Amino acid sequence: MTARPDLPPVSWWSSGLLLRSTLAVVLASLLAAAVAVGYTAYATSVRAHHASQTRLNELLDTIQSTLSVACFANDQTLAVEVAQGVLSNSDVLAVRIATTQAVLADKQRGGAPSAQPAGLLKRLIYSPFDRQKEVGHILLTPDPQVIEARIREEVWFAAIQLSWQLGMVTFAMVVITLMFVVRPIKAMSDRLHRMDPTTGERLATPKRHASTEIGQLVTDINALSDRLTSALEVERHLRQQGEIDEKRYHTIFDNAESGLFLIDRQGSLMSWNPSFAQLFDIDRQPPGKALAPLNINQLPWQNPTLMDRLMHSALTQNTAVTQELQILMPGAERSWAHMVLRSVGNNLLQGVVHDVSHLKESEASARQQAITDPLTGLANRLGLEQRLHMLVQAYAGATTRGFALLLINLDEFRRVNEGIGLPAGDTILQTTTRRLSACVSSQDTLARLAADNFGIILNNVTQGEAVERIAGRILQAIRQPYFADGSPINLHASIGVALFPGDGFDVPSLLRQAELAMESAKSSGGDQHVFFNPVLTEAAEQRRHMESDLRSAIRNHEFVLFYQPVVDLVNQRLAGAEALIRWRHPTRGLVMPDSFIPLAEKTGLVIEMSLLMLDVACRQLLDWKNRGLDYVLSLNVSGRQIPDGLTPAKLQEVVQHYGISPTRLALEITEGVMLRDVDKSLQWLKAVHDLGFRVYLDDFGTGYSSLSYLKLFPVDTLKVDKSFVQDMCDDNNENTLVGAIIAMGRSLGLDIVAEGVELKSHLVALQRMGCHYAQGYYFSRPVPAEEFDAAASRITALLAAPDTGA
Amino acid sequence: MKTLLLSLFVAFFGLASPVRAEPVVVVNAASSIGPLSQDEIINIFLGRYRRLPTGDAAQPIDQPESSALRAEFYRKLVNKDVNEINAYWSRLIFSGRTSPPLQAASVAEVTVQLLARPGAIAYVERAQVDKRLRIIMEFPR
Repeated sequence: MTARPDLPPVSWWSSGLLLRSTLAVVLASLLAAAVAVGYTAYATSVRAHHASQTRLNELLDTIQSTLSVACFANDQTLAVEVAQGVLSNSDVLAVRIATTQAVLADKQRGGAPSAQPAGLLKRLIYSPFDRQKEVGHILLTPDPQVIEARIREEVWFAAIQLSWQLGMVTFAMVVITLMFVVRPIKAMSDRLHRMDPTTGERLATPKRHASTEIGQLVTDINALSDRLTSALEVERHLRQQGEIDEKRYHTIFDNAESGLFLIDRQGSLMSWNPSFAQLFDIDRQPPGKALAPLNINQLPWQNPTLMDRLMHSALTQNTAVTQELQILMPGAERSWAHMVLRSVGNNLLQGVVHDVSHLKESEASARQQAITDPLTGLANRLGLEQRLHMLVQAYAGATTRGFALLLINLDEFRRVNEGIGLPAGDTILQTTTRRLSACVSSQDTLARLAADNFGIILNNVTQGEAVERIAGRILQAIRQPYFADGSPINLHASIGVALFPGDGFDVPSLLRQAELAMESAKSSGGDQHVFFNPVLTEAAEQRRHMESDLRSAIRNHEFVLFYQPVVDLVNQRLAGAEALIRWRHPTRGLVMPDSFIPLAEKTGLVIEMSLLMLDVACRQLLDWKNRGLDYVLSLNVSGRQIPDGLTPAKLQEVVQHYGISPTRLALEITEGVMLRDVDKSLQWLKAVHDLGFRVYLDDFGTGYSSLSYLKLFPVDTLKVDKSFVQDMCDDNNENTLVGAIIAMGRSLGLDIVAEGVELKSHLVALQRMGCHYAQGYYFSRPVPAEEFDAAASRITALLAAPDTGA
Repeated sequence: MKTLLLSLFVAFFGLASPVRAEPVVVVNAASSIGPLSQDEIINIFLGRYRRLPTGDAAQPIDQPESSALRAEFYRKLVNKDVNEINAYWSRLIFSGRTSPPLQAASVAEVTVQLLARPGAIAYVERAQVDKRLRIIMEFPR
């Protein structure tokens, strides 16, 4: 630290301290002197008067004897002589001596008689021979001037003396102050001016001041210096730390991948980092004073108003606002930036900007992928729907006259796919794509919705004839043989058509209509196209109602079992029954299974229904068992129940629950059921067969009736379809066919149940062919449980009648 | 030594005196001066007044200076010794206004003067009083 030049020079002679203390001492001295002199004057006056009196009395004592002689002897001469002597005393102004009779002497000084001044001294004179006898008196007049002069003299002397003493005291005071206060302080001050406490310099204690207040002050100043020095040290350390921190932040700022910047409320860029500069191809450093300030709006935004709006909302909302902004940078890959702006006070905005071009690209590609089918490269369902939406809007904008939506499904493709394997199936689908593409124009849309579902939008096609033409071409194209695995495969397609705006006016209903039409085409055998019409909707509507009815029917236990007796033709007795489901509909009455089972299978409700019916059947068997009847009850099992809808374990659990032998319960299945998934069906069949359940093969002869399957599957009984039985006449084909089946069954060790026996002739023929069991209207219609006993009696009677001729 | 001897002498003499002197104030028997008080005697002998109550001038006569009677007289009159009386008079003689009593040269002369001078007043040893003299004041015993 250097001495600051603006400090006033400190010199002892102009020291305020010295001057003040001197003044104070002088003033106090003068006051004390005034008091002392005043008191001295008073005291001196009193003393002088007293001394004067004393002297005069002494004088009187001296002359008393002479005076007594003079007065005694009336000796005027002597009296005058004495008076003269008295007057020679300077204190005496006048003297008067008188006897009792006369005045002996009356003298005064200067001849100027004063007018009876105070302090007259009178003394009586007694006879020298008789102390009691008064012979005269003497009267002395003291001279006041003399006394006053003496007082003045004494006061003056006292004043002189006091002045001298006070002068000495003042001098001593000044010297002491100078020596012991001013000079040490001045020395300290000078030292302080030159001192640098940071280098450890400290004030030295002045000599002989170790234990004085000056010494204490020095100690305090040094302690203060220590504290200041340490505080400075701490501050310096903090500043260094701050610089390090700032450097660190600077490093982060400079090396950030994101563009960082600061703008004012007008958008002028105040500072930015290299990433920002790189993103917008601007100078790396913020502009100096020479360069024109750069505004954020001047950056190559595709839409500068968006940037303006973002700034405005950041300034007003006081929270971070974000926006993706498109950049127009010729020749640069980057095209999108993600911007975050936040107000940081003082009308400043802090921004972070990322290059999100890649993100945008991948987003776009993801969006494209989301609407694309990977196998064929066509639009997927989403893509088709988007296109539909677009076209619906375009129609509102009158840029299209309308369009036709075609949904195409390859018939039986699923089965073919399972047969030839997935890769071959994919090849077929790709081939189909090529063929479909060839059938449409470039302004049309081709999509693959699901496995073998394709959709086509024929833009600007509103006429049925045009659609018909194209649909015909498509059907023709599909019919061409496919070559997969070297062998030709023949496929055909079902096409549903919905027209916009004729049929539907929104995308979901259009899709639904086309689908209904397509399903209609398929259910009509496939290889055709069907235009949507409202009847289809009604049918669908009906199905929907039915489905909800089915659900409530399950809840309300509206399903019941009817039992059709099965007769043992060999032993001429009732062998058991087939349980048949019926629906006691609250309004429609009794509903036959044909009307609801297909829907129940489609919706899966059949599983729940069948479990209920299993329960009912077992209760019936228990009833029979309790009554000593050894009837066998057969139950129809739907394909949907195999293998998981009705597990062997569940079957066993139920029969065990009712305490029934599994041999009393037969399960009727159809060939088609087994062909759905041969391995699983076989497994299921073996399991239930092993548990002791009997297995009936229903409707035998209507399907493949593959003999190898008969050997493969553990089947106990064949049920010959009623179509064969009813068409039976003597010596015709059918007759022979039924006979052949029966013969084959017997040779395979299978029991045969003939269904649909309605006439006596049927029975006779069957008996003749050696058929074991029969059921049909001839014996009994399916009856409710409560009527079964009556039916049984009737059958027993029928069998017992000897003339059972037709 | 001389003084000592004198003192011894005086002492011896005094002691040897069988009777102390007894002064009485006397006047010429023929005088008209009546008895006087001691104060009047003091005034006359010490110069205060030189006139008798009758208006006549009074002439006091002292015994010789060294006589014992004189000392005894003044001692009795004003209780002063001879030296004091002498000092007293020395102050007054200075002014000249008053004079001391007439100094007789001897005891006999006292009587002579007393008889010779009108208005004379003197004091003598009581034993010396004869018919020519008349006592006008006696000191109380």
